[in-house]
Amino acid sequence: MARTKGCLIILFILCFGIIFMGCPKKTVVKEEPSLQKEDTARLDAERAAREREAREKEAREREAREREAARVKEEEARKEEAARKEFERSLVAKKTPGIEGEVFESSLLKSIHFDFDRYDIRPGDMEILKENAALLRKFPNVKVQIEGHCDERGTAEYNLALGERRANSTKNYLVSLGISTGRLSTISYGEERPLDPRQNEEAWAKNRRAQFMITAK
Amino acid sequence: MIKYLVYFLIFFFFYLPSAEARVYLDINAPAFVQIPIALSKWKSVEKTPPTLTAKLYEILSENLTFSGFFKVIDYSQFPSFLRDREGVPSTLVLREWISSGGEILLAGEVALKPDGLGLVLTCHLMDLIEQKHLFGKRYEGHLQNFRGMVRRIADEVVLHLTGERGVHSTKIAYAVQQGTGKEIFTTDFDGANVKQITNNQSINISPVWTPNGEQIIFTSYLKRNPDLYAIDLEGKNLRRFSFYPGLNVAPSWSPDGKRIALMLGMEGKSDIYLIDADGKNPKKLTTGHGNEASPTWSPDGKRIAFVSDRSGSPQIYTMTSEGTDVRRLTFEGNYNTNPSWSPRGNRIAFCGRVGRQFHILTIGADGSGLQKLTHLGNNEGPSWAPDGRYLAFSSTRTGGSKIFMMNANGSNQRPLTSAKGGESSPAWSIRLE
Repeated sequence: MARTKGCLIILFILCFGIIFMGCPKKTVVKEEPSLQKEDTARLDAERAAREREAREKEAREREAREREAARVKEEEARKEEAARKEFERSLVAKKTPGIEGEVFESSLLKSIHFDFDRYDIRPGDMEILKENAALLRKFPNVKVQIEGHCDERGTAEYNLALGERRANSTKNYLVSLGISTGRLSTISYGEERPLDPRQNEEAWAKNRRAQFMITAK
Repeated sequence: MIKYLVYFLIFFFFYLPSAEARVYLDINAPAFVQIPIALSKWKSVEKTPPTLTAKLYEILSENLTFSGFFKVIDYSQFPSFLRDREGVPSTLVLREWISSGGEILLAGEVALKPDGLGLVLTCHLMDLIEQKHLFGKRYEGHLQNFRGMVRRIADEVVLHLTGERGVHSTKIAYAVQQGTGKEIFTTDFDGANVKQITNNQSINISPVWTPNGEQIIFTSYLKRNPDLYAIDLEGKNLRRFSFYPGLNVAPSWSPDGKRIALMLGMEGKSDIYLIDADGKNPKKLTTGHGNEASPTWSPDGKRIAFVSDRSGSPQIYTMTSEGTDVRRLTFEGNYNTNPSWSPRGNRIAFCGRVGRQFHILTIGADGSGLQKLTHLGNNEGPSWAPDGRYLAFSSTRTGGSKIFMMNANGSNQRPLTSAKGGESSPAWSIRLE
């Protein structure tokens, strides 16, 4: 009886031992290395393929981006060139007898107009000055002389003062839009250079203006 | 011979003028009646060509009329028995001459010397009401100065009858539109002897005379900036002497001739400054944010009148020559510009908008007694004669802008030249003798 009991205990211990210590250890040690090797290789290959693909895609994309960028840049350069050409085409040389130097007038730099005996910028004309400022930003080498003009009414001397003020309030507005003051000079012609020589409201309204002359391209 | 080349005159008093010279015309009165002056036919002595005498008669008549003080009665308007009487009548027969219609008689003779170059003019002025001789004078000079001699006679008549010399030796400078530019011209006070001074196609504007009358200073755009230049009366020796950035405009000499008040725009707007006669040492007189324009000195050199829009519209102000004690002078209307201080000191002429038109007005230096002098067209740029008895200005009353003249009270307005238009900013010289 005691012997049988002892055998059972030993068997139990053995079983326990096998279950809890021997067997699992042996199974893992025996089977895992072969499994891992296979998987790793496969995974590596897959990863490498993925990475390669990604790299290639990235390269393709980068290339595409670069091509696009180049295209955009080219387009921009083309546009800039076109704009520059358009600007240059718009320039009309103005040489005035008895006045030193040559200046250029551009239809792209629009004149603004004033009320009688006033020099403040009209709200509607602020848009014109913003467009003019945009053009000046586009061509940073361009320098302009702003001419202040008046209609013929009133006295010549007071109109010279008024023209000075009109030119300078126009200049100040452009400076407030970020155009450097070194690019903007002013001159008052008072009532001496009317655009329209007629003596009526329509002509006077045209003549009360600030006009832009390009002094450097 | 040399004595003929130099312009000189010799006066001979044939009779002493009456001890108490009566002033026939108070030209300071706001309104005066022109003195009717009979101008009898002048005698051509010996071989003097009658055409020369006729020319003298014409110039004399024009000059007397131009003074604004006289109503000239031409001998052709005389009753027939007086019409052809030449030379100087005896005081004994003056009674007959009252029927000429004149209160004063101016008679005389012209003698061209045998050399054909020397000229002797003799004139006598008589009071037909009181039947007495007023003065007799003899002028000797060169034929070349014929017009100057005749003007001298007119000047003498003005002195005798108004108590002050006339302006017969003065000139007027002004700007004339030519194409898109303007050139400076001068003319004698009566519109004779029109002469172009600048010829550079630029914009040459607002001329004034230097105090000695030998040069004209003006603003020109020659260097693409309104700078101040000086030039002589032959149009030579052009010199740029004030060229600060921006405006260099509307100069006015201090009475001592040492400084110039003017508009400078170096701070981005027009202010009144003083500079030395050579353009140096600018000193700013006006402060604040207004447009300041057109300075003009008082004849005592203490104050300067100018335009400012500091109130919201251009008005006339005065200040000391240091820029202090600023006083507003004009309160009527919303556009008063272009002040010009009378050499007499008491009044300031200016251009003001009345209704829709611009007119010449005067106001007392203390702001009292506003007077409107013009009534037709647009009128601007008043400039006083050196005696303060006349004003030159520009007017569009006959179409284009032309130089006109009038007496200081607004009477006797007439165009200066026969030009069609385009004339502006007259400046009257001192007496040039």
